[in-house]
Amino acid sequence: MGTYILKRIMAIIPIFLLATLLTFGMIHLSPVDPAEAYLSAAHIQSTDEILAQKRHEFGLDQPLHVQYVNSIIKICQFDFGISYLSNKPVWDEVTYRMPATIQLALGSIILAILVSVPLGFLAGIKKNSGIDHFSRLLSFFGASIPSFWLGYLLIFFFSVKLDLFPVEGIGTWQHLVLPSVTLALPLIALYTRLLRASVLENLQEPYVLFARTRGIHEKVIMGKHVLRIAISPMITGLGMNLGKLLTGTIIVEAVFSWPGFGRYFIEAIFNRDVPVIQCYVLLAAGLFIFSNLIVDLIQMCIDPRISRKGGQRQ
Amino acid sequence: MSKRRKSKQVLFISAIVLILSTLLLGCTNESKENSTSNKDSKDMLTLAWPRDIGEMNPHVYNPSQLFATSMIYEPLVSYQDGGELKPHLAESWEISKDGKEYTFNLRQDVKFSDGTSFNAEIVKKNFDTILKNVDLHSWLGFITKVDQTEVIDQNTFKLTLKEPYYPTIQELAVVRPVRFLGDAGFPKDGDTSKGVTKPVGTGPWILEEHKADEYAIFKRNENYWGELPKVKKIKVKIIPDAETRVLAFEKGDLDLIYGEGAISLDAFKQLETTGNYETSISDPVATRQLVMNTKKEQLSDLRVRQALQYGFNKKAMVDGVTSGLEEKADFILPTNFPYTSDIDVTAIDYNVEKAKALLDEAGWKLPKGKNVREKDGKPLEIELMYDSAESIQKAMAETLQSEWAALGVKLNIVGVELTVQIERFKANDFELNFFSNYGAPYDPHTFVNVVGSEGFGFNEAISSYPNRDELLKQIADVPGTTDEKERQELYSTILESLQDQGAIVPISYIKKIAVYQKDVSNFTFPANRDEHPFTGISIEK
Repeated sequence: MGTYILKRIMAIIPIFLLATLLTFGMIHLSPVDPAEAYLSAAHIQSTDEILAQKRHEFGLDQPLHVQYVNSIIKICQFDFGISYLSNKPVWDEVTYRMPATIQLALGSIILAILVSVPLGFLAGIKKNSGIDHFSRLLSFFGASIPSFWLGYLLIFFFSVKLDLFPVEGIGTWQHLVLPSVTLALPLIALYTRLLRASVLENLQEPYVLFARTRGIHEKVIMGKHVLRIAISPMITGLGMNLGKLLTGTIIVEAVFSWPGFGRYFIEAIFNRDVPVIQCYVLLAAGLFIFSNLIVDLIQMCIDPRISRKGGQRQ
Repeated sequence: MSKRRKSKQVLFISAIVLILSTLLLGCTNESKENSTSNKDSKDMLTLAWPRDIGEMNPHVYNPSQLFATSMIYEPLVSYQDGGELKPHLAESWEISKDGKEYTFNLRQDVKFSDGTSFNAEIVKKNFDTILKNVDLHSWLGFITKVDQTEVIDQNTFKLTLKEPYYPTIQELAVVRPVRFLGDAGFPKDGDTSKGVTKPVGTGPWILEEHKADEYAIFKRNENYWGELPKVKKIKVKIIPDAETRVLAFEKGDLDLIYGEGAISLDAFKQLETTGNYETSISDPVATRQLVMNTKKEQLSDLRVRQALQYGFNKKAMVDGVTSGLEEKADFILPTNFPYTSDIDVTAIDYNVEKAKALLDEAGWKLPKGKNVREKDGKPLEIELMYDSAESIQKAMAETLQSEWAALGVKLNIVGVELTVQIERFKANDFELNFFSNYGAPYDPHTFVNVVGSEGFGFNEAISSYPNRDELLKQIADVPGTTDEKERQELYSTILESLQDQGAIVPISYIKKIAVYQKDVSNFTFPANRDEHPFTGISIEK
């Protein structure tokens, strides 16, 4: 297991390098000149003098390979450069906004788990019952409605009409409710269906019949055996979605004026704020890698067969 | 077994009910508190802005928002309705006969928000700091022409230029970079281009609280030298999404929404029709124009350019696309700008028959059985570039496409990013393009200067004008004029010629909108496009 973890950690380095190369390539292949983008964002009529000065300031007048190597060296020192737009260190700007995004992501993931685990499980063990139909309806709704639209609907009904929650902003737990629900609904849809399918599949397994013939209590069979094994695909899904969740906050943050990282990134894209875009892509890549690693480890703990299989292969 | 299942169900349902009811109870209590606190803030005007106000540094650009900067920092001269330049921090000024020396008599009762005096020394300090970064500010014409800054006495400041440049006074009214920071705001090394220590200005507002990406609160500067604002505080909530701004406004969380493109035109119309709110539309702030590149063969013929103008119903298009919020434009610059009211041009009205006749005359005939006109076997095909993020440009492009198709002109429309649009325009890599001028206090001189400068798109775009060289010379001569009459004549000739030869087509006048609650009164748009509109505004709750 130790070698496995070490191998996984070592694999992070080439993935990161690839991510930096891809971002760098994409930004520099785009026809938009960051210096020009800076000036148009500032509503300045661009002259050759300012363009040249800005390009020099941003280091864009250097050869591409020099720019790339410089950015890698800096990243290794945890220096993501200075934002073209705000003139402040990118890392400071990111860490200032990160807690809000994490709060939102955590809020929705907890909500998603709280709703989808009981709902998916009950829908599975009570196939074609009322709760199963309800879960299907909710999943259909959650999977098909776009986040921004759902956000507007929730604001319209719960803030404007019923005056239960604030329209926008951050601060109290009430501020967290609507954005979390918006972000959690697609996850709820996904996890409920995953868990339901997995429970149904497990109910057909011989171990359930065997346990029943041994006279083991139904509650124990369901809770200790079926749920424990059936939840495994959901955990994989959760891990894969953790990175997606942080990136998914982009739209929700914009709709609910949540002062997080996603909104900052959107502005950076529009203004071609290269250092911020690079930092975001690297963080997102890191998060995907890290969450997948964590999920694999959890899976191993829940279902030791996985690690054994891994061990046999080695 | 079934009993146990039932009890499990009951337990689960009651848990959910418990959670939900606590949730709702908590919310109702809190929302009551919220609404009370809203009513408490009587003297505070709350508005929404799409971006964070940024660092309040008067000497740099991004990410500071212009309206907020103008709340704290003031200019020597202010730009008023009709382009009138009025004294502000300078009580009066004299310009030497050769147009090179500007002597400003400063207002004496002005203090910075920290209590320090505003005087000629601090004016010089600000100017000298700005001039350390001439390249950065070179877009503002007079900056590159400054030769010397001098303190004559405590209340007299003199600016000497290398050559006469008449728009100097007008350019001193812009929101940045020439506004005045108090001594305490300067960093240790004096270089404000890297940041200021605190936003100390002479303006009617003081930044009290700022949480990046969340909100900013400005309080009234009780020691302000001019007319004191009526509201005590202004809260700017940062709401990036336009629909959310509308919802927050409908809920009553906002007193005011204003700006250019602050909310969609549909939302504006919808709020207006409810009758529950007040709405207001400004005078023209700029003209939306269509630029034809006469370097391209098919557009080099004046008749083709005119035919295209005759060939679309401008009024119907502007009314349709902008729901009547923009106004059909007859002139390439709005006539509420300086030197623009005395222009004599032939207005081109919608006339399809005339358009077709002009195209026939130019040799572009419609072959039998075909939809696109041809000349020497070449189809009449033109490309129009538009900013894909701007819904108005896109809708106008589509309208032109269908209108001109009826004339036998194939219009290919290409949506690009704003920066690509600017780059392609500057590189002269376009056939038709949308453009809008800079507005007050920059125009007309900035627009005319851009037309005359190389590398901005226009200079090349008008290359087939027979009087191009003469026109460029006139454009180059304007800033150096010292005689008012001569200047007016030059502007009239330039603007008339540019428009009559059809490469620059005025489409509509862009306007700002405002929506406010019924208890907000005296809202007026500032004449300067970038200034704040809070002078005189009052609120009764």
